[in-house]
Amino acid sequence: MKTATLQKSDIGKCLDLLIQSQKRVIAPQLRPRLDSPDAIDVLMLTPLENGDNHQVGQGILPLNGVKEFLFVKHEPILAFENKDNKVHIKEVHHKYPETIIFGVRPCDAASIASQNAVFSSDNAGYNDQFFTKRLENTTIVTYSCTTGDQSCFCTSVGLEPDSDRGSDLHLTELPDNTLHVEIKTPAGERVANILAPLLQGEGDQAARDTAGKEAHKNVSRIRNSHLIKAWLDDQSNFDDEMWERLGEKCIGCGACTFMCPTCHCFDIVDETRGSKGYRIKFWDSCQFDHFTLHSSGHNPRDKQYKRYRNRFTCKFKIYQDKFNAQGCVGCGRCIRDCPVNLDITEYMKEVDLKASLPNALRQDPDFE
Amino acid sequence: MIEAIRTQARNLLENKEVDVIIGYAEGSDSTRTTPVFIRKPEEVSRLIFDPRCINSLPLYLNKRHEYPQKGWKRTGIIAKGCDIRAITQLIAENQLTREEVYIIGVPCDGVVSHFSKWDGRLHDGNQATKCAECDVHTPTDCDFFPGERPEVDRSAPYKVSAPQVLNLMGLNTDKRFDYWRQEFDRCFKCYACREVCPHCSCNICITDRTQPNWVDQAAHTKGVFAWHITRAMHLVGRCTGCGECTRACPMDIQVDLFNQRLKDVVQESFGYKSGYSQDEKPPLITYKTDDSEDFIQ
Repeated sequence: MKTATLQKSDIGKCLDLLIQSQKRVIAPQLRPRLDSPDAIDVLMLTPLENGDNHQVGQGILPLNGVKEFLFVKHEPILAFENKDNKVHIKEVHHKYPETIIFGVRPCDAASIASQNAVFSSDNAGYNDQFFTKRLENTTIVTYSCTTGDQSCFCTSVGLEPDSDRGSDLHLTELPDNTLHVEIKTPAGERVANILAPLLQGEGDQAARDTAGKEAHKNVSRIRNSHLIKAWLDDQSNFDDEMWERLGEKCIGCGACTFMCPTCHCFDIVDETRGSKGYRIKFWDSCQFDHFTLHSSGHNPRDKQYKRYRNRFTCKFKIYQDKFNAQGCVGCGRCIRDCPVNLDITEYMKEVDLKASLPNALRQDPDFE
Repeated sequence: MIEAIRTQARNLLENKEVDVIIGYAEGSDSTRTTPVFIRKPEEVSRLIFDPRCINSLPLYLNKRHEYPQKGWKRTGIIAKGCDIRAITQLIAENQLTREEVYIIGVPCDGVVSHFSKWDGRLHDGNQATKCAECDVHTPTDCDFFPGERPEVDRSAPYKVSAPQVLNLMGLNTDKRFDYWRQEFDRCFKCYACREVCPHCSCNICITDRTQPNWVDQAAHTKGVFAWHITRAMHLVGRCTGCGECTRACPMDIQVDLFNQRLKDVVQESFGYKSGYSQDEKPPLITYKTDDSEDFIQ
């Protein structure tokens, strides 16, 4: 593996070089907004016009993940027209510009494999060309975290703040304000070639490992997730009292699912104007009350807590069973953005506790 | 204060005067609180109240959340002044009767605008703007209140609380449209603004109806505008200004600016302030022969 060193102060120049090479460059930026006393600073992954004002390596996470640049919020998948009493179907031609997403956090980068498992793997049994063509033309430049906030929990789901999974070119900040550069893939190498004028010598692997270990200490929300899958596999736990108790406050919005980098559910609808229209694929959420509503009126997930049970089960069981991929990357967005502080790690804690109790205790009706 | 509330809550549950008490408990980290449903007297020690208690709990009293099916005959609720205005509005709209709810009022000096701004105390830098204009720091209508409740004159008209409303109204329509187009570009229609609203009462929202499909479901410009304009119009004269829609928005879009502007329009046109009377119906759901007709040219 090739490594190099980059001055942290040169990131803006890196972005400029990439933009000058006719690539679409996306990086975190502070979102402009009208003045408001209630305003909070918000980072967004944004297509850049130049390397000024970037926020690569700043803050915890951008509000939006890389998801919306691969599995986009909405897109037409075909066009149709009713002409002369016949329906004519037309293909739609999307543009898939060569894109570099710069400054992706390790959790977001790891989530790409999970999305890919759904949209194109053998397990999924289908190749979603819209997703895969975008992915083919996208290069991910990751940036290790130096710290986490109160919602981050990547180390509880097998990731590290300096993980390089899903990365083409991996940057890690060192205490001397330089960046350790690791070239992980041919796509990463192509980016490194463009950045060559700014790259110096070889990277300091030992310093990079020390930085990663330091960052690990700063992720404070720690849960044991090893027992969760087996507990969920046990069907008698499907009606455990925990689901309703913890999920009662859930109000059924889709914030957690839409913010989630691995949530991938979508709906398809025909939008018709007059005699023509488009078939549109757009984000859907298992938290919506009509998500599994049958045409008969029956809904197998008729209560909100059952919908959240589905979400939790999807992350820690269904993803593994069905797609052989990781369901949760610990980014913490669902915790940060839940209006009622429904916290997935509270479920993890509770399940771990239940799963680690000896059987005899679990069956004791007086035990709580 | 909290001890008096806990004692009252315990008494209510022990005497079976209420089936449940909806309140606030410590959240999953130190900056947050969470809604909690207390059913057992021994659990009342979980109840807390401080400036982190942002949520508008009356949303759980809306019939949409099926509280009657849960067997709650009478519900106790910890409510700030603004929450009591929401309850009053729910009663005015027949979502519940006054007898079905036991209101435990709390004195409130204001809440933080966003949990991430909490640094251990409330100050000008982190207080929600709605609190600066609030005339119900001491609540209007409650069954229990820890302490004295002095009479307060609440006849003053609503004030527009966010300077952005005025800033936006100062722009020409094209620029204002551009502002919203830019903001709504981030909207992905998670409907957190709808679900968190105490006054969104429809069992099936018009955006979820597919036969016919009234509102485009996808989050493209048209679908997003259609949703937000629908939401704003359905809340005219009903929104009590809790600001939960903006707080809940994971994409940080200030959707309540619509509601704040419409609050002024309703006041100018009908002299109506929502959330102050259980008997007076919102102007857009009633018909009066002496209604102003000056919009018909």
